[in-house]
Amino acid sequence: MRAGGPGGGFGGMMGGMRGLQAGGIHSPNMDNLTDENVVGKVYDHNVVVRLATYIMPYKRDVLISVAAVLLYTVGNVSIPLLMMLGINWAINDGEMWRLHVIGATFVGVTFMHFLSNYIQMVYMPKVGQGVLYSLRTAMFNHLQTLSPSFFHRTPVGRIMSRSQSDVLQLQETFELIVQSFSDILSLVGIIAMMLFIDVRLALISMSIVPVLFFVLGYWQKFARHSFMRIRRAIAMVNGEYNQNITGVRVVESLNRQDLNLKHFESLNKEHLDANLEASRFSGGLQPMVEILIGIGMGFGVVLVGGIMAQSGSLEWGVLVAFALWIQRFFEPVRHLTMQYSQLQRAMAAGVRIFEVLDLKPDVIDEEDAQEMPPVKGHIKFEDVSFHYVPDVDVLKEINLDIKPGENVAVVGSTGAGKTTLVTLIHRFADVTQGRITVDGYDIRQVNRQSMVRQMSMVLQEPYLFSGTITDNIRYSAEDATEEEVIAAGKAVGAHEFIMGLDNGYDTILAERGVNLSVGQRQLLSFARAIVGNPRIIILDEATANIDTQTELLIQDALKRILKGRTSIVIAHRLSTIRNADKIIVLDHGRVAEVGNHNELLKSGGVYARLHAVNYGISQRGLTSSGDGLVPAPASDD
Amino acid sequence: MQILIRITLMAWRYRTRLTLAYLTFFCAVGISLLIPYLFGTSIDRLVSVGDDGITGKDVSRSTLVLLATAILVASLVRGFFDFARTYTVDSLSQIVSYDFRNQLYDKLQHLSFAYHDKEHTGNLMSKATADVEAVRRFVNMGLVRSLEVVLRIIAITAILVVIDWKLALISLAFVPFLVFRTTLVMGRLRAMWTRVQEVMGETVTVLQENLVGIHVVKAFGSEEFEKKKFAERAQQLRGEYFQSEKLQGTNSAWMTFYFTLALALILWVGGRGVIQGDLTPGQLTMFILYLNQLTFPIRMSAFIINSFSRAISSGKRLFDVLDARSPVEERPQAEDLGRAMGRVSFEDLSFAYEARLPALKHVDIEAEPGQITAILGAPGSGKTTVVNLLPRFYDVTDGRVAIDGRDIREFTLASLRRNVGIVQQDVFLFGGNIRDNIAYGSVDSSLEDVVAAAKVAQLHDHIMSLPDGYDTIVGERGTTLSGGQRQRLSIARTILINPPILILDDSTSSVDVETERQIHQAMTGVMRGRTTFVIAHRLSTVQDADLIVVLQDGEVAQRGTHTELMIEGGMYRDIYELQLRPQEELLLDAAIASDDGGHA
Repeated sequence: MRAGGPGGGFGGMMGGMRGLQAGGIHSPNMDNLTDENVVGKVYDHNVVVRLATYIMPYKRDVLISVAAVLLYTVGNVSIPLLMMLGINWAINDGEMWRLHVIGATFVGVTFMHFLSNYIQMVYMPKVGQGVLYSLRTAMFNHLQTLSPSFFHRTPVGRIMSRSQSDVLQLQETFELIVQSFSDILSLVGIIAMMLFIDVRLALISMSIVPVLFFVLGYWQKFARHSFMRIRRAIAMVNGEYNQNITGVRVVESLNRQDLNLKHFESLNKEHLDANLEASRFSGGLQPMVEILIGIGMGFGVVLVGGIMAQSGSLEWGVLVAFALWIQRFFEPVRHLTMQYSQLQRAMAAGVRIFEVLDLKPDVIDEEDAQEMPPVKGHIKFEDVSFHYVPDVDVLKEINLDIKPGENVAVVGSTGAGKTTLVTLIHRFADVTQGRITVDGYDIRQVNRQSMVRQMSMVLQEPYLFSGTITDNIRYSAEDATEEEVIAAGKAVGAHEFIMGLDNGYDTILAERGVNLSVGQRQLLSFARAIVGNPRIIILDEATANIDTQTELLIQDALKRILKGRTSIVIAHRLSTIRNADKIIVLDHGRVAEVGNHNELLKSGGVYARLHAVNYGISQRGLTSSGDGLVPAPASDD
Repeated sequence: MQILIRITLMAWRYRTRLTLAYLTFFCAVGISLLIPYLFGTSIDRLVSVGDDGITGKDVSRSTLVLLATAILVASLVRGFFDFARTYTVDSLSQIVSYDFRNQLYDKLQHLSFAYHDKEHTGNLMSKATADVEAVRRFVNMGLVRSLEVVLRIIAITAILVVIDWKLALISLAFVPFLVFRTTLVMGRLRAMWTRVQEVMGETVTVLQENLVGIHVVKAFGSEEFEKKKFAERAQQLRGEYFQSEKLQGTNSAWMTFYFTLALALILWVGGRGVIQGDLTPGQLTMFILYLNQLTFPIRMSAFIINSFSRAISSGKRLFDVLDARSPVEERPQAEDLGRAMGRVSFEDLSFAYEARLPALKHVDIEAEPGQITAILGAPGSGKTTVVNLLPRFYDVTDGRVAIDGRDIREFTLASLRRNVGIVQQDVFLFGGNIRDNIAYGSVDSSLEDVVAAAKVAQLHDHIMSLPDGYDTIVGERGTTLSGGQRQRLSIARTILINPPILILDDSTSSVDVETERQIHQAMTGVMRGRTTFVIAHRLSTVQDADLIVVLQDGEVAQRGTHTELMIEGGMYRDIYELQLRPQEELLLDAAIASDDGGHA
């Protein structure tokens, strides 16, 4: 069973990640994200301090909000006081002018109350949304600095939930803190007022408060348990739902609907039960408060206050004011209870977010990194070794000299280090020993962006973005003109099928381009690779997934495209290998041989052996009809 | 409005619970209305207005005890009804969202491929999460609580009018403003929420595509471009969100304002009434406390309005899915196909994807039971489209597909698809172990059957090399399988189902040679005894086929056996010359080379 994040795992989208196979780049020195803790501390100093740095730019707005909250609370607390003054000082004494004074003051306070409330309602979301924006972009930008190996190991669903729901939760923290501040202020204000007006009546009316805290403490413990149960349940529900959408084609073709629905219903039922359990408890909180208000008003104000009023030590205005205060007293208490668990969640979310933001990128530009001048295409590996885990070298002492315009094929069995070798040139990771140079520049000493923009890579699985075909082709060179886009489309033989679509180059692609065939997607990824006219092209088994007709189309095109460019191709196809200027044979992370097809065959080394084993078997498979159960091949001409 | 009615109808299925919710909240409101009355009465017992201003009165202690007890009892009973109301409403809203989720889930797995081609996963995800939640809130807040607000205002108005109609008019003068603002804001908020949701969807899509395609981003050094793209969306989202939050917040500020102003007026005007002897102190107290009871409902009304607005936009998004008509639908009198013999014919078949140029034109293909038909053609020529029509992933636009001579639309979808096995190109693994994944289409198969299928599919050895064998967890959180292994797993799945008709999408031409050999053996195994349609690129498959169909722009360009087509010339021979023969020559070349290698 898979449990996605609260926003639902987007795990199915991992499909596109398969381009980098298990033999690809891995760096275990970068720790995986910790498991999703549901509840954190109520106050996590680190989180608050870090969050503060995002709030700082809105210092002025924060101050305005806080001031507004302060004024608003003062207004809230003083309304019963005004009532009391109006009754005791004006009405009781029958003084009309005093009533006018109080009445006018009350209206004044109302306006202040409104204004502060209004300002608070504008500035709080302003800060909140600002912080949310900063966090979102900070998170996104930071993710851009991490190496592909991180994404290979970490399910997309988890990062999605961190950058969606966790960010939302954390942003709430700010509003929660301000809200709690206002609630505490209200409480203090009300208690102070009550004590100030009449100590005895205040103490008697609030004598029930400890009971409330006892109940709340118990409720809190339960709420935590209940919340975790709900969260686990919803993660299961969303995970299953997500998986069923992503795999819907399989589900439908294998008639799994009834079975899956039954399974989903049981997960959904658990979620329902968890919520009902929570409702039973949280529903109990409200009546508790009502009853306590009843005790405070009945026995406190009416009975004790009444007796005191009778003895003349209290005026009735006090009773009215107390009735209002008691009712106002419980609302902040109830708020604070809710905020308690929300704060716990928000802090846990904060921990998760800053964990991502703290992930150290393993490929970073040096401070004095210079811009890469126009690339000619001379690639050199000088004594390059590379490992993910210390002492387990993936590449060992590689020395290569690839001249500008040379067409190189990399061959070797699975796990020989081919993908690692070619992706090192793009700095998907940094070498652990030796150096790689492009045109004599150590690639670690130039600005990565400026270098990579002049190179191109076609990955095993063609991954396309939402948007039009033009947007996709233009992806590697945003400033490419329409003519250049079309030229690229023509060069790879994609132009015809593009023009056959409803809107030609403006056709909008569905998610991951599923409205195109795999071959068509591959063609687009080729067009994308060449539109910027890169000097270096790397093809990572780019011929896989292309049907042979398409491959034929582009093989011819590629010959033209690769001409004059340095190209490195990981390929298993004999035609590709045979046409290469140079074949690099990798064996267990070492360069076993370098040479062209004929040379290597003659030398009778690893290449010749690989060749014999692989293509020998393959040929048997093709012509012997396996175990003889398939009709014999029709005779050739 | 229609949408709200439909949501209400969903809740109406639990009418006992809904009625109970209304009943309990009627009682709760009714009893809560007693408390200010009791309190005001207490005040009148304590003080009275005489000629010399307000004086205390003698009241027996037992009267005070009685009043205090009455307040307490009223609070207790109110608390009880409050609990009953909260629980029934909460549970009702949860049950309704439970129903929505189930319906959504089931609907989506019955909608045809054409629907899923268009819908983004992220969007469908947010329907199941955010939109269902919005509907739940509506049931909770909108459906029951909105009535509470209205009812309370009406009841309190009535009471106040009875006490003193002039003062009542003054203190409730804000109600029309409230109604006016409510209608005004509701419309604007709804439009805003729809916008927020759209922008949110775009932002999530950018993020998701970036993460899934991160290697492309890295390969082209497009980080800055991506950052800009995301920041633009995030900025827009920030603006939209801010606007709607501001509207919502300032609206609640306005509501509180009207109401606080009413309190001030009561004290002012009502105080004058007491001084002039038109009103007793107790009545003034009642006025104040009754109005105070409106504090919470009025603050709530801002949320309630919001819940209405969101429910309308979210409800629409949900009903869009639930009402979506699948273009592929079972006929009411559809029959069970049973086990087909396996004769398949595509008869004068035409097909167009929605609003596009026809993808297939007048295609005729006949396949006898057990025959292998290879389909060739350039990308976009309609190869995959043809085979997708057989299990009715899409329905033909014209002509028909028949199995054993009968139109496939006469059969139930389930029985049809049981008869048509598919080995897909892009294989989806479900979270779970390998065994369950192989048995995905035939759950009750024994472990022996699963192992046997895996053996035919050439996957058994690999599975056994994994630490947990058939219990190894695969999928997002489990072991990764390579493309070739996944394809063979799909073959094993199909073998287990044992369909008489088979579709093989074999476009993946080269993985590595060893894998290719294994796939070829697996395919040979699975095709045995089944009517097979194969989208082929391997020379061996093409040569083995009883019939080769070459498609060009959605039309059959050529048909025949390998030998016939070679003699006939044309497109097939071109393909053969250009591509199949070089493949063959290379292999021969390789074989010779390997001999050389052996000598050296």
